[in-house]
Amino acid sequence: MNYHWNWGIFFQQVSSSDDTYLDWIITGLGWTVAVAMSAWVIALVLGSIMGTLRTVQSKPLVMVGTVWVELFRNVPILVQLFIWFFVVPELLPRDLSLWVKQDMPGKEFFTATLALGLFTSARVAEQVRAGIQSLSRGQRYAGLALGFTEAQTYRYVILPMAFRFIIPPLTSEFMNAFKNSAVAFAIGVMDLTFISRQMVEESGQVIESLLAATVLYVICAMAANRVMSFIEKRSHVPGFILAK
Amino acid sequence: MIEINKVSKWYGSFQVLTDCTTQIAKGEVVVVCGPSGSGKSTLIKCVNGLEPIQQGNIAVNGTAINDPKTDLPKLRARVGMVFQHFELFPHMSIIKNLSIGQVKVLGRSEDEAHAKGMKLLERVGLKAHANKYPGEMSGGQQQRVAIARALSMDPICMLFDEPTSALDPEMINEVLDVMVELAHEGMTMMVVTHEMGFARKVANRVVFMDQGKIVEDAAKEEFFGQPRSERAQQFLSKILHH
Ligand SMILES: Nc1ncnc2c1ncn2[C@@H]1O[C@H](COP(=O)(O)OP(=O)(O)OP(=O)(O)O)[C@@H](O)[C@H]1O
Ligand SMILES: [Mg+2]
Repeated sequence: MNYHWNWGIFFQQVSSSDDTYLDWIITGLGWTVAVAMSAWVIALVLGSIMGTLRTVQSKPLVMVGTVWVELFRNVPILVQLFIWFFVVPELLPRDLSLWVKQDMPGKEFFTATLALGLFTSARVAEQVRAGIQSLSRGQRYAGLALGFTEAQTYRYVILPMAFRFIIPPLTSEFMNAFKNSAVAFAIGVMDLTFISRQMVEESGQVIESLLAATVLYVICAMAANRVMSFIEKRSHVPGFILAK
Repeated sequence: MIEINKVSKWYGSFQVLTDCTTQIAKGEVVVVCGPSGSGKSTLIKCVNGLEPIQQGNIAVNGTAINDPKTDLPKLRARVGMVFQHFELFPHMSIIKNLSIGQVKVLGRSEDEAHAKGMKLLERVGLKAHANKYPGEMSGGQQQRVAIARALSMDPICMLFDEPTSALDPEMINEVLDVMVELAHEGMTMMVVTHEMGFARKVANRVVFMDQGKIVEDAAKEEFFGQPRSERAQQFLSKILHH
């Protein structure tokens, strides 16, 4: 193999600017973290609401949750991203449409975050629903019998336990948010994937560039994992045995 | 206090309750028994509206349960309920289990709710366990906490659905003792149970159900003396001689 290794490449300047390749990578990491974290917040909030709706008494609300999940879960993330980026602006009223297409600041970041957030929310919703349904029916009866309204029963009785049950699957969704954020490069967000491809082109150091991105993605996913297991430890219920 | 009048209920096309009628007067203790699947749990859940009924009506303290205008949470807050599997809230400490309803439903202050919770724990002999979690206690202890939780809301009547049938035999009495004491204090109680010793001791009446119908509704002496229906006789002889 006559590949020419050059680990010093990260400290060399990019030909067209004052930045080093390391500066580039750090910027890329920043965008990846920003997209993944903001999308995760959206996913957690909307996913919790939609997943809960699928379990309530009111049939129309159940319907809303179901449609939401089926819509965002069954279309590939890249297709959703393109729809939000290319199609939706065309459907807006004329002035708004023009503004979005020409002047909207941070349009790429905003669109990528929204698309990833909604996509992930459908997956979170399914976990939340499964968590709620794994609770015994008796817990709901007990909450209601105490005089709680349905909303209070969810708030104080059902959701606190349901979320504890689903920390493991939520952990993988959180990690997926980082991995899936890589689609953002397709609409021009300068995330890790975008930057590493750019670096390959500019420097020709294919392996170093892609390895840097790979390592940073792994570190992000591991960090997400650590955060979740910290939460899991903190929320442990004394004496509670999972198999119920 | 509790009036159940010609109540019928279906799960889909399956009729669980057929034309059930009975009353429980203030201060009365009524034991409900019958074979598995006869609809006892369903009937008792209809009393506080946890399960809807399709025909007939139920009134608690004069308030119709199946009237859409009734504020069900408000009514349920005053009807204590104890379940077969305790149903304490596992993520809350024992004292929190006893105070959360008082605070969130009745609007009492944390301090007041805490004080009342501690008093009730003392009463069921579990004061030392206030800061434990349900998962750290035995079934008998959990069920006593569950009774205390129901009492924390100052109920006007209490519903029990097989409160001792999930317990190990040696724990049954500690729970029954609390219930007997309640009965002696004049609490209105509807109790689904197969503990005939309890029924003999404190029940005023025994209701016997079979296949969704109330087939026997008699004063205790009469029921244990000679039940009219053959099913009740068979059931009794099975239960008393097992
Ligand atoms: N949610 C439900 N959906 C459909 N059928 C139900 C439901 N709950 C109970 N049933 C059926 O209704 C009938 C009465 O059930 P119920 O639990 O009231 O009986 P039970 O007398 O309490 O019995 P057990 O002694 O076993 O507790 C049973 O045949 C049961 O299978
Ligand atoms: Mg039952």
